[in-house]
Amino acid sequence: MFRPPMAENPPAVEIRDLVKDFKTSFRRKPLRAVDGVSIRIMPGEVYGLIGPNGSGKSTTMKALLGLVAPTSGNCAIFGKDSLKVDSRNEVGFLPENPYFYKHLSGAETLRFYGRLCGIGGKILTQRVNELLALVDLEGARDRRIGGYSKGMLQRIGLAQALIQEPRLVILDEPTAGVDPVGSRQIRDLILKLRERGITVFLCSHLLEQVQEVCDHVGIIFRGRMIREGRLEDLISIEDQTDIVLKDATPELLAQIGDLVSKSPGASIVRTGKPRTTLERLFLREIREEEE
Amino acid sequence: MSTPASIPMQGSNASRILTIATHTFTQLVRMKVFYFMGIFAVIAIASNFFDLPQHEGPESVGASVLRSIKSWSLGAMTLFSVVLSIVATALLLPKDVEDRTLYTILAKPVPRIDYLAGKLLGVLLLVFVSLALMDLLMVAVLQIRTTMVVAQQAEMAKAMGWPQDAIDSLRADTLASGPNAALQGAVLAVFLRAVIMASLALLISTFSSSTLFTTIVSFLVYFIGHFQADARDIYLHSGQAGEGLFARLASLLLSLVLPDFQLFNVIDAVIEGQALPLLTMGKLALVSLYYALFFTIASWFVFSDKEF
Ligand SMILES: Nc1ncnc2c1ncn2[C@@H]1O[C@H](COP(=O)(O)OP(=O)(O)O)[C@@H](O)[C@H]1O
Ligand SMILES: [Mg+2]
Repeated sequence: MFRPPMAENPPAVEIRDLVKDFKTSFRRKPLRAVDGVSIRIMPGEVYGLIGPNGSGKSTTMKALLGLVAPTSGNCAIFGKDSLKVDSRNEVGFLPENPYFYKHLSGAETLRFYGRLCGIGGKILTQRVNELLALVDLEGARDRRIGGYSKGMLQRIGLAQALIQEPRLVILDEPTAGVDPVGSRQIRDLILKLRERGITVFLCSHLLEQVQEVCDHVGIIFRGRMIREGRLEDLISIEDQTDIVLKDATPELLAQIGDLVSKSPGASIVRTGKPRTTLERLFLREIREEEE
Repeated sequence: MSTPASIPMQGSNASRILTIATHTFTQLVRMKVFYFMGIFAVIAIASNFFDLPQHEGPESVGASVLRSIKSWSLGAMTLFSVVLSIVATALLLPKDVEDRTLYTILAKPVPRIDYLAGKLLGVLLLVFVSLALMDLLMVAVLQIRTTMVVAQQAEMAKAMGWPQDAIDSLRADTLASGPNAALQGAVLAVFLRAVIMASLALLISTFSSSTLFTTIVSFLVYFIGHFQADARDIYLHSGQAGEGLFARLASLLLSLVLPDFQLFNVIDAVIEGQALPLLTMGKLALVSLYYALFFTIASWFVFSDKEF
């Protein structure tokens, strides 16, 4: 594909000082949904935007896709202005709570979106099969979308977003309303995308999931970005170290305690049994039940 | 998923529009409500098969039976095509916005005009196919009934001892009331009117957010379109000479945005057995094309600034 030499390696996402006001009613002053947000995502990164409901995550994504026009500031995808149609060649989008045409089957849905991207013929058929396999919906390919469960809808939505092999995928609350098994599937899919070098921009209010897949995060609150950076930098506690032991005897623990107390400045903050997360416990139990 | 960015094609506008159009067509076909409408229209036309003519003075009854079949069938087609084009168009946009399917479409490299044109074309495709089916049925009914009437008239004329040239001219008259090119022109005119109405409904639905509003306003414009020319004439000839130029200009402006459906009175003329000159047909097609383009471009202007 032809690329102008100037933009050798533009960021996958470049949002500069985005402000978005919504008119609420005639008299009241407009509602500021996004207030001076800047985000830059380099190719290959997985970026998680987290924040409570109504903090402007979806609006930021819609502005990036040209679905809403910024009040001020600008957005670009791989260096192309979001308000231009061609910026959408290399991006796939999964909206919040997606609904697709109920009268189409899963395979027909993917074919439809593929044709919109200008793919056709054998390539499209092959692509549809690949994606149905990727999102584990081969068994439901000829069923009408109207009968899909929430998790299936979310996965067909993800497949739809990937139909033209975009280099950037934008996911708005990809696991909202999906049960833990389904959301684990979606998480694994996102990790697969990351392995393939696809840039992912996702938002969620489920912190744990963001923590599992993202390498960069931004925290948005009431339309403002309040914290941003590499996940490791944000959540590591620099002056502490974890040691997890298996089958340690009380004597060994006592010895370790002695060692620590002998070294100047160091101290044990806490000992105890590490807890699994509720999500992990739940998944493990189900898996054991299945076997 | 082998190599990212390995798909160089983007597709043309035409192929995208066609994709959306065929999708819209399937979507409408799979909505059962339009089946029922279609079945009713078919029954309305087919019922002419069974309404057998009375045996009273066939030389006058014959032609009027054929006329009523045409009038009844074209009426059913008009009703069906106008309702279908308004309601279907009014339904599509709000549905896509509500189900958020519009996001997924516009998040693909699809210009908004392609989306609108595709939707419109999909509705028109359905109207066209339905009208073609009804047309086929109407021609079949009319053909059969014409043959029957001709046979009856011949029998009657022979019994009454008419001279041969009188019989021939009666036969020619009756045949002229049967299926002919003018009738096909009338069906085409019905379709053209539906084209105008669908593109008008498209325009209204880009700034209204409810199907009901779009439907009601479209029907209002449809009825206004039928008497706006009368209203204009009355106004122009009501003796306000001083404002003549201004009024003329205003009415010209009005007719640029508001279709004058009296142009479609040619359909009634065809029912009465008159010919439909090619020139009239061409003019009708041009006028319809103008309104359809005007409304579609106007809806594009509204739609391109829309946020969802
Ligand atoms: N189309 C709209 N019209 C008016 N207000 C809107 C619109 N879209 C979003 N908002 C408002 O903007 C704020 C941010 O919304 P959103 O971006 O959807 O939040 P999030 O996705 O983080 O939950 C909310 O207060 C919401 O009510
Ligand atoms: Mg949201």
